[in-house]
Amino acid sequence: MLPFNRPIIVFLFLIVLAIIGLRQCPFDKPEMVQKSRILMDTVVQITAFGEDNARTIAAVDAAFAEMKRLEELTSFYLKGSDMERLGSAGSAEVSPEVARIVALGLEVARESGGAFDMTLGNLKSLWGIEGENPQVPAPDKIRTALKGTGMDALKLSGRKIEKKDPETTVDLGGIAKGFAIDRAIGVLAENGIRHAAVNAGGDIRLLGDRQGQPWRIAIQDPRHSTRFLGKLLIKDVAVVTSGDYERFFEKDGVRYHHLFDPRSGYPSKASRSVTVLADNAALADALATAAFVLGPEKGLSLLARFPSAEGMIIGPDGKIFTTAGFDKVVEWQ
Amino acid sequence: MTEPTTSSVVDLPELETIRRQIFLALFIALAVALHTLEALLPSPVLGLRLGFANILALTALFLYGARAAWIVILARIFIGSLLLGNLFSPGFLLSLSGGLVAMSMMGGAKTLFGRFVSPIGVSVLGAVGHIAGQLLVAWLVLVRHGGLWSLFPVFVIFAIATGLVNGWATVLLLDTLKKHPLFSSKGGNGALPPEV
Amino acid sequence: MAVTGLFSRMTFLDRIIVLTLLVGAGYAFHVAAQKKDGSRVVVEQQGKVVFSAPINGDREEIFSGPVGETLVVIHNREVYIGRSDCPRKICMGMGHIHRSGDVIACVPNQILIRIAGEEKGDDRAYDILSR
Repeated sequence: MLPFNRPIIVFLFLIVLAIIGLRQCPFDKPEMVQKSRILMDTVVQITAFGEDNARTIAAVDAAFAEMKRLEELTSFYLKGSDMERLGSAGSAEVSPEVARIVALGLEVARESGGAFDMTLGNLKSLWGIEGENPQVPAPDKIRTALKGTGMDALKLSGRKIEKKDPETTVDLGGIAKGFAIDRAIGVLAENGIRHAAVNAGGDIRLLGDRQGQPWRIAIQDPRHSTRFLGKLLIKDVAVVTSGDYERFFEKDGVRYHHLFDPRSGYPSKASRSVTVLADNAALADALATAAFVLGPEKGLSLLARFPSAEGMIIGPDGKIFTTAGFDKVVEWQ
Repeated sequence: MTEPTTSSVVDLPELETIRRQIFLALFIALAVALHTLEALLPSPVLGLRLGFANILALTALFLYGARAAWIVILARIFIGSLLLGNLFSPGFLLSLSGGLVAMSMMGGAKTLFGRFVSPIGVSVLGAVGHIAGQLLVAWLVLVRHGGLWSLFPVFVIFAIATGLVNGWATVLLLDTLKKHPLFSSKGGNGALPPEV
Repeated sequence: MAVTGLFSRMTFLDRIIVLTLLVGAGYAFHVAAQKKDGSRVVVEQQGKVVFSAPINGDREEIFSGPVGETLVVIHNREVYIGRSDCPRKICMGMGHIHRSGDVIACVPNQILIRIAGEEKGDDRAYDILSR
C-alpha cells in the first residue's frame, strides 16, 4: 500500500509535517486595520483590509484626515468656515462639497414635502439638545425659531446659497455626517482599499464585502440598549439609523429627542427609529431623518421614490414596516 | 518430522497467512466495536476520546507490520463511520485526518527505530499524531480561528497520557497473544511442540 | 503498582520520546499563555496615543480634556469609565469593554479608549451595530 517500510520516506514525511507545524500562518490573508477617532461629535471607527499593512494604515489615516477637513468646513464655530460666513449674512459662496451637500438636501426636502429641513439651526439652538443645558422652550419662542424655515427658505445657484430670511440658520446635521462618511470611503477607494467599513456613531457605509462574506450589520433595538432586532447581510451600501434614543434629555418624565418635526418645532412622535439603506451615506442620512418625521406610511412612500433606497421604519407603537428590498437582506433575531 | 499442533494439513506459510487474515479481521472488528462504543459515550472535554481502538492497530503493527496496521486503522475509521452514520461528515473528516497522521507517525517510528522502541512509545507518538492531525484539519477546514491552537498543549498532554495507557495495554495484549497456543505455532512457553 | 509496571516496559527511546513531547507541550503552553495576556488598553486623545497598559493589571487613570477630568478604570480584565466631568455622562453609560477592537469614549472630553490585542476571533454575532 504505502511505502512506509522505507525509512527515508518516513523521514521526509515527518519533516514536511514539522514544517507545516512550525509555520504559524501558511496562508496569507489580508490584514485588518481598525482605528477610531472622536470626530463630528461621535466616535468614528474605520475598519479596512489590505495586503500591505502599511498602505492600509496610511489610507485609513487619510480617510480620517478628510473627515476632519469636512468637519471644519461645516462647522459653525470655526472662523471663516462656510457655515460661519453663511450664518452672519443673507447669502454666501460656499465650497463645492458644501454645495453638493445642500443640493442633495434640497432634493430630499422637496421629495419629502419639507420633512427634511436644513434650516432648523435656530430651533436646535433654542432647544439646546446638542449642548450642556437642554430645555423645553416656550411655544412663542418655538414659533419665532421656526420663522425662515421650510422648503423655500434656501436657494442654491451653482455654489451660492441664498437665504430668504437672513435670520435663518442653516444646519446640515441631518446630512453632513453621511457626506463625510462618503468622502472617507472615497479616500479609501482612491488608496486602493477594496474592503472597508466606516462607522460614525452607528451611521455606516461599506466598501466591498468582509473577506468573502457579507458584512453583518446589527440594527439597534430602540427600546433595549443591549439588544438588536436583526442583522443586515450587506456589502457596498450605506446604512443609517435615526432613532429617538440617540440624543435626548428628559424633563418631568417626558423624553425629548433630537429629530424635530419642522412643522411643529417639537421632536417628532411619528416613529421610534428608522434604518435606511442607500448607495451613499449622505442620501441615507437625509432620508432617515425625513422618514422618521414622516412616519411609517409616508416614510416608506418617500423611500420608494429613490431607486437605490430601502428601509425599515418602526412606528410609535413598535410595529415594524419594511420595504421589499430590505426584507431580502435582513435576518431577524 | 515436526508438525504444528493443529488439525490442518495445509503447510506452514499458508497457515500463517490465513491465521493472519483471521486475526486481522478480528482486530478490525474489535477496533470498530471499541470505536463506536467510545463515540457513543459522552466526551468529557471537547470531543477528546481515549482511543482504545488504537490498541488493536498497535498490536497489528507489532505483530504483522505497518501494512497490516494501516489496514486495521483505515478499516476501523470507515466501518466505524458507517455504523455511526457520519460517513463523510466533518466528524469523519477529523477521524480520518487524525488516523492518517497517527498511523504515519506510528509506522514511521517503528520503521525508523525498529527494536529500540516499544509499543508504548509508538502509542504515545500515535496519540499525539492523532490529535495533531485532527487539530490541523479543524483549523484548516472548520474553524479558522488562531485561538484554536492555544488548546494544543493541553491536548498533547492528554494524548501522551492516553498513549501511555493504550501502549501499555498493547504490551500486555501482545504478551498474552504470544503465549497463547491458538495464536502462535510455537506454543505456550515458546518451545516447539514435541516431535511426534 | 501499575504505573511502575508500565514504566519498566518502556524502552530508553520510549522515555526520550515522551520526555521530548512533554517539554514541547510545556513550551507551547508557555507561548500560548503569553499571547493570551497580550490585550492592551490604549487611550487616545486628539488621535494620539497617550496611555497604554496591559488589560491584566487593575488600575485607575485620570485624563484631562476640554471639559474636565475623565477617570478610566481597568478592573478584572475589563475597562470602563468610572466618572467624568462631561455634562451628560453618556460615556459612563457605555459600559464595560474587554474585546479586541471594542471602543468607549467621552466625546466632549475628547478621550477615546480602545482594546488592542492579538485576538481576532469572530466571537460576536455581528460586525457593526447601526444605531
